[in-house]
Amino acid sequence: MVTADIPSSVPVTVLTGYLGAGKTTLLNRILTHEHGKKVAVIINEFGEVGIDNQLVIDADEEIFEMNNGCICCTVRGDLIRIIGNLMKRRNKFDHLVIETTGLADPAPVIQTFFMDEDVRSQTSLDAVVTVVDAKHIHQHWDADEAIEQLAFADVILLNKTDLVTPAELDELEQRIRSMNAMAKIYRTKDAQVEMDSILGVGAFDLSRALDIDPNFLGEDAHEHDETVGSVAIAESGTLNFERLNTWIGELLRNQGPDIFRMKGILNIEGEDNRFVFQGVHMLFDGRADRPWKPNETRKNELVFIGRNLDERELKEGFRGCLV
Amino acid sequence: MVKTSSQQEFKQGWRDGLSDYVTAIAWSTDGHFLAACSAAGEVVLISLPNFQSTLLQTETGYSVDCLAFSHDGKFLAIGGQDGQVKLWSLQSGGPELITTLENKSVWVDRLCWNPTTHELAFSLGKYVQVWDADTQEVVTTLNFEASTVLDLDWRRDGKYLALAGYQGARVWNTKDWDAEEETLDIPSATVAIAWSPDNQFIAKGNLDSTLSVMEWSNPAPWLMRGFPGKVRQLAWSEVPTSLGVPLLASCSGAAVVVWERDRDERVGWASRILGNHQGVVRAIAFQPNSLLLASAAEDGWVALWHRGTRLIQALTGASNGFSCLTWHPQGHQLAAGGVDGELLVWYQAPRGQGFGKRKF
Repeated sequence: MVTADIPSSVPVTVLTGYLGAGKTTLLNRILTHEHGKKVAVIINEFGEVGIDNQLVIDADEEIFEMNNGCICCTVRGDLIRIIGNLMKRRNKFDHLVIETTGLADPAPVIQTFFMDEDVRSQTSLDAVVTVVDAKHIHQHWDADEAIEQLAFADVILLNKTDLVTPAELDELEQRIRSMNAMAKIYRTKDAQVEMDSILGVGAFDLSRALDIDPNFLGEDAHEHDETVGSVAIAESGTLNFERLNTWIGELLRNQGPDIFRMKGILNIEGEDNRFVFQGVHMLFDGRADRPWKPNETRKNELVFIGRNLDERELKEGFRGCLV
Repeated sequence: MVKTSSQQEFKQGWRDGLSDYVTAIAWSTDGHFLAACSAAGEVVLISLPNFQSTLLQTETGYSVDCLAFSHDGKFLAIGGQDGQVKLWSLQSGGPELITTLENKSVWVDRLCWNPTTHELAFSLGKYVQVWDADTQEVVTTLNFEASTVLDLDWRRDGKYLALAGYQGARVWNTKDWDAEEETLDIPSATVAIAWSPDNQFIAKGNLDSTLSVMEWSNPAPWLMRGFPGKVRQLAWSEVPTSLGVPLLASCSGAAVVVWERDRDERVGWASRILGNHQGVVRAIAFQPNSLLLASAAEDGWVALWHRGTRLIQALTGASNGFSCLTWHPQGHQLAAGGVDGELLVWYQAPRGQGFGKRKF
């Protein structure tokens, strides 16, 4: 039978952050930047400013729990329905932006892009961008969703820098860094940021290099009282694939709900290719990547972001997989 | 051996096109009209036998997502992204737009006529409204609550209306809309729901790659697993098998799975997988009055399966894939829509005409 042309995958940007942090300002910047392109926007709340775009879809957040034997996850039913409908058009759109409410848990959004076969085959999640109100974030440290939006982020904008002192900003950045060792952090005023920093990031592209803040790896600066944090592991050595599989499997079964995101590049025994993986809660996606280059040092790099992670236990578990 | 009528070949006849993805296609039950709509917002009505087409609506930029004729072919209803439900009367000479129901900031994803009356049920987000085309009044508004309504279906006798969505289905008794609805729970979401034509069974295709079938008089459902993905579409045969139960076809990913009630109660339903498609199957339907099954897929084929079992013919004409299909009520013609706007009709070549076919 004839194989149809593979449709090009539409990149998706997820914007999170509290109401008033500057999400809509950033969204308008994206729309201005992408002038001439077709950008579809799915919003779950009416923003502070009207957005002039024919393709703005306002929909209620609909969380679907999927309890499928051993894997439990939540997806966003509204996104499955809307994206399925929008993707029928031939001249679809070039970019999809999903703006969540300030109270939204980002996990179901991300898991939709792992779980739903239609969403996965037609779109590719580019990055989760979280906008932080540098002045008022302190009022929200107790709220789970504020913490989760930071923990799940690939890019974080510390916005409204004009309203706080540089010292306060440094402290805030360090605090956020301790939670999320992977995210790129930018300091912005009026959500002014180079569009290259938030679009085309490819944060869910497994073949991209892992981006762990080198400062995070080196020092002990990540002493903190937050229950949400990052654990990064960077070690040389070769891993036994079966032991690794058992370890990760057990980890996800026992701590899946507490592991927000994980990512890694691994050196597997007897393999000439890098093994790359990522995960969101209990969902795991891993595969062999490009071959190690002849002059490249083979090593293992992993990052876990989650709640109540035991760094020592994770490192021991990892070392138990070394040959 | 005498060829059964369903084994006669189909040949391509009329062909036309819309400007974008054909989202729905339907044949009126009297066979006088064929209608189709597109993701660009077009609605076309084709009157037979001359295939004279009338554009009821030109491109609007808003997808028209659902379309259906009333049971007697007197009305045509459409719904889509602009939130409007439009109704045309087909009773006098030409089609006449008689009603436009406006709904703010909601897509009308699904609509379905009562098979015995002029009541139209259409989805409005989490609600379904039932509209009487005769009295031009809202009959009732049903609240599904759990999510946006993902599918709906009337039982063939019009006595029940089933809505599907998150956590399964809810069934209302149409004689008493205010009575509490019956819930048929599942642990994920139901995306397709279909009553059997004999009113005995209700089938649900689910997001978690399962299919549940329930005998209406028996609360214990059968649960079928092992599908490659979400169970998107369901189709019951009009004709029953020797056991007196219709066949149930389901599609999931590139697979079509046909279920047949087994004599052995321990088996329940026996399945066979029709695995020839290489793209997502978008639509399935049994030929009225036979067990010939048609499946339309994104691989660019409409496949015809004898008794829901054996591939007997593959029809082409939409190179980037088919999106929907519908049978003529008498079953001698089949129409399909394509992802690039193609509209095609095939007809079953009458026997005993022309010069005999050469045997290869």
